[in-house]
Amino acid sequence: MNDFAYVGKPMTKPDIYGKVTGEAKYTDDLVIPGMVEGRILCSPIAHARIKRIDTSKARALPGVLCVLTHEDCPKSRFSRSTMAEALPEFAFTGERQDQYILTDKVRYVGDWVAAVAAEDIYTAERALELIEVEYEPLAMVLDPFEALKPGAHVVHEDCPNNVAFEMDHPFNCGDVDKAFAEAIAVAEFSGVSSRQKHLHLETDIAIAAFESDGRLVIHSPSQGPHLAKKHLTKRVFPDLEDGDIRWISPAIGGGFGARLALGVEPAAVLLARACRRPVRVTTTREEDFQGYSSRTDQHQAIRVAADKDGKLLAIEQIIVADSGAYLSHSATTATVNMQKTLGVLKCDNIRGHLTVAYTNTPTTSGFRGYGNAEGAFVFQQALDRLAEKLGMDPMELRLRNLKVPGDPSCFVPVPLAHTKLEECIHLAADKIGWKDKWLGWDAKKEGRYKRGIGMSILTHASGAGGFLLEHSSCVMKVLTDGSLNLIVAPCEMGQGILGALAQVAAESTGLKYELIRISTGDTDVTMFDIGSHASRSMLVIGNAVAAAGVKINEQIRERAVSLFEEHQIRLTKDDIQVKAGQITSPKAPGISIDVGRVAYAAIYDFGSGGSQLNASGSYQSTSHHPNHQAAFAEVEVDTETGMVTVLNYVSAHDIGRAINPLLVEAQMQGSLVQGIGFALTEDFVIDPETGNVLSDSLLTYRLPTTMDVPEMEHLLIEDPLDDGPFGAKGCGEAGLVNPAAAIANAVYDAVGIRVHSLPLAADKVLWALRHGEDIAPGRSAVSGQYL
Amino acid sequence: MSKRIGSFAVNGKKRDTIIEPHMLLVDVIRDSLGLTGTKRACASGNCGACTVLADGQPVCSCLTLAVCSQDKALETVEGLRAADGTLHPLQQAFIEHCAAQCGYCTAGMLMTSKALLDANPRPSREDVKRALSGNICRCTGYVKIIDAVLDAAQKINAAREVAA
Ligand code: FES
Ligand code: FES
Repeated sequence: MNDFAYVGKPMTKPDIYGKVTGEAKYTDDLVIPGMVEGRILCSPIAHARIKRIDTSKARALPGVLCVLTHEDCPKSRFSRSTMAEALPEFAFTGERQDQYILTDKVRYVGDWVAAVAAEDIYTAERALELIEVEYEPLAMVLDPFEALKPGAHVVHEDCPNNVAFEMDHPFNCGDVDKAFAEAIAVAEFSGVSSRQKHLHLETDIAIAAFESDGRLVIHSPSQGPHLAKKHLTKRVFPDLEDGDIRWISPAIGGGFGARLALGVEPAAVLLARACRRPVRVTTTREEDFQGYSSRTDQHQAIRVAADKDGKLLAIEQIIVADSGAYLSHSATTATVNMQKTLGVLKCDNIRGHLTVAYTNTPTTSGFRGYGNAEGAFVFQQALDRLAEKLGMDPMELRLRNLKVPGDPSCFVPVPLAHTKLEECIHLAADKIGWKDKWLGWDAKKEGRYKRGIGMSILTHASGAGGFLLEHSSCVMKVLTDGSLNLIVAPCEMGQGILGALAQVAAESTGLKYELIRISTGDTDVTMFDIGSHASRSMLVIGNAVAAAGVKINEQIRERAVSLFEEHQIRLTKDDIQVKAGQITSPKAPGISIDVGRVAYAAIYDFGSGGSQLNASGSYQSTSHHPNHQAAFAEVEVDTETGMVTVLNYVSAHDIGRAINPLLVEAQMQGSLVQGIGFALTEDFVIDPETGNVLSDSLLTYRLPTTMDVPEMEHLLIEDPLDDGPFGAKGCGEAGLVNPAAAIANAVYDAVGIRVHSLPLAADKVLWALRHGEDIAPGRSAVSGQYL
Repeated sequence: MSKRIGSFAVNGKKRDTIIEPHMLLVDVIRDSLGLTGTKRACASGNCGACTVLADGQPVCSCLTLAVCSQDKALETVEGLRAADGTLHPLQQAFIEHCAAQCGYCTAGMLMTSKALLDANPRPSREDVKRALSGNICRCTGYVKIIDAVLDAAQKINAAREVAA
């Protein structure tokens, strides 16, 4: 048993008070004096050249300040993804800079054509209607396989084959053909993940304002403001320098990866420059569905082979991903799919290939689970098929192929240092009763409602050290009351990172948790950091906080020596402990000194070394520090309607240490329900005739509600990681990886069919039940097109 | 009819502001009265983030015309606290259960829950699920919200019994 004051305890996170009182300020709640309203005109057609734009009527409308088109934009290209700024120049060509703020050739329904700023929102809306645009329609291509055919219509002129990105599998190794030839069992599964929408409730928004000294202040809910600022200056507005922008992320109404890409900020800046007023650009929910980010749909085929003992001999993975009209995060998510999806098991012969295609559909992006959720849906079903061919328990197959420390990790250059996946599998399996509930591959189920059980396992990362700029720094100062100002860079999107970092700060300094005050979200205040994503904040930023914390702790102990002398007790700093704001020593029983006294004395010192207690801490990660999970789902399928209901879900997590188990559980519950939506109901549908998004409201795109929540249990296996803060790894992303895969395997156990596309919507399940699995349709995002 | 003075009874106080016929209640609450705790997330009645109480009934303020709300007693999240600043038991329970993540749905969740508990002080888990089924939360997976509402109901009832 450790004797932490705060680590491992369900402390209340500091940002929750403002959220339950309504006092938390989000971007849309801010009012900047003189602020005007900006809106963007989106293209109604999927592919067209703009022949003519007439903005004169819009400009003549009283209250309109400016109307801008492609002619008013900088002639430099950028990507919605800011990741190019977190990668070494030479590392990766997957970050194409392929768009302008406003375009003269629209490439999807929703592409940005013009922007207006007006005194109020009603006038701005009216002005949009008054802009006359003459389009010269071009033939469109909506399906990635069509886009990759020779002679397909070209989305980007500088990319004549529509191949936005292409690479061989990062794990390519061994002799795959030989291994397949020698295998006893070979299985394959192919399927497509859907374009799940992030559906953060706060729609895209940004405020841009120029200060009197010419400096630009941006308020917007970014998950990585330092990176966004760098990207905006380097690529979008090359005449600006890094220091010309101050970026403030207020409270963020949900992220899930969406806020890692640029949103409407470039348009807000363009408008603010043109009209010399602060401009707030807002978007509607319909526009969010039409134009803003979603998960990338990845069409995948995975073939696996094993010997008679179930040893995995070979894996082949082919991915065709549909980036939509611009590349953004789709190449990186598909790359991560290859690493993480196959990285969970040991195999010596691997081959694969990825192609990312441009189409005339909305730009896709990175979403929690970042490629891994897409991949697990296919790989974990291929594994189950392999187990079936071998007549083997699917859990046993996985157990026989687990990696052990020293094996290559999901990030090739660094070997796996730490895994508790085996323990996770056993723990979760016992809890759900796998032995009693999984009845073998030929179990017969009777009746209209059939139940089944399925499983999935994963490895995911805590940051991408060695690949991205994985470092972070923080500053701490202690006030005279023993409270701490912690200046640190994570973005609080609701995941609870501020609470977890406050716990790390309180534990490492010895100060009181309730007196940790965090300043964050402002690039003028915080140190460079690439933002909150990839489950990196706990590990990378947490380590920076812990590094500063131990320095503060030492300073307190050094200065406390003289206070003990007042009691005629001579101690060295090593005899002294600081915990929860109190200074004590086993050598001075009965004496407890408030930290505030030391902090006060340090500042109110007129000549013997006065200075506020302060420290900074930095950390750089060079590994991915994988976390692991095993999950089991129980479902019931209504064979009359095709409806799938998740009854129970148990998962076990290898997370190093839970700094705050309540926050960890909150992350797992939230990601599970997002995963149930991904698995069963969230269906993004594009009209094959027009390229229009048909699922453009919360009525046509169905999110899980309170009525869809199953029984669930999230078990933690805590085995502290050597180089995590108090042993912690990241945990926020991984919870969305297993659900769809485990649910799909459970549906097969229940009714013997596999649906080849997400979501496992009732109509598809019913179709497969009626027509048999072999011809079960896989529906791509483009409605009516089947794989 | 064009611009005119509208009178609203919000959280027990009378507030006058200029309104126009097309204005929605959510716009008046947020933009004219500055009560930004109420959120706008879909503006089409499908998410519940904008829920306020009108004469005790939960309504989507994004679907309600401001002019039609003048004779109603309106309650928003800002009115949940007691006069001395004490948090409402629902707010307290949301804090204890960590039932808010990004917080964008929270005001709507709290107001819908308040209407439920006012009408049905001893709801079952199923009652809570049904009452909140029109409120979307993308972050929490709902479990902690449901737990918090049940916990608050218990605490309110216990306090009532002590008072009686
Ligand atoms: S904003 Fe009113 S219901 Fe969504
Ligand atoms: S807490 Fe984010 S939507 Fe509910």
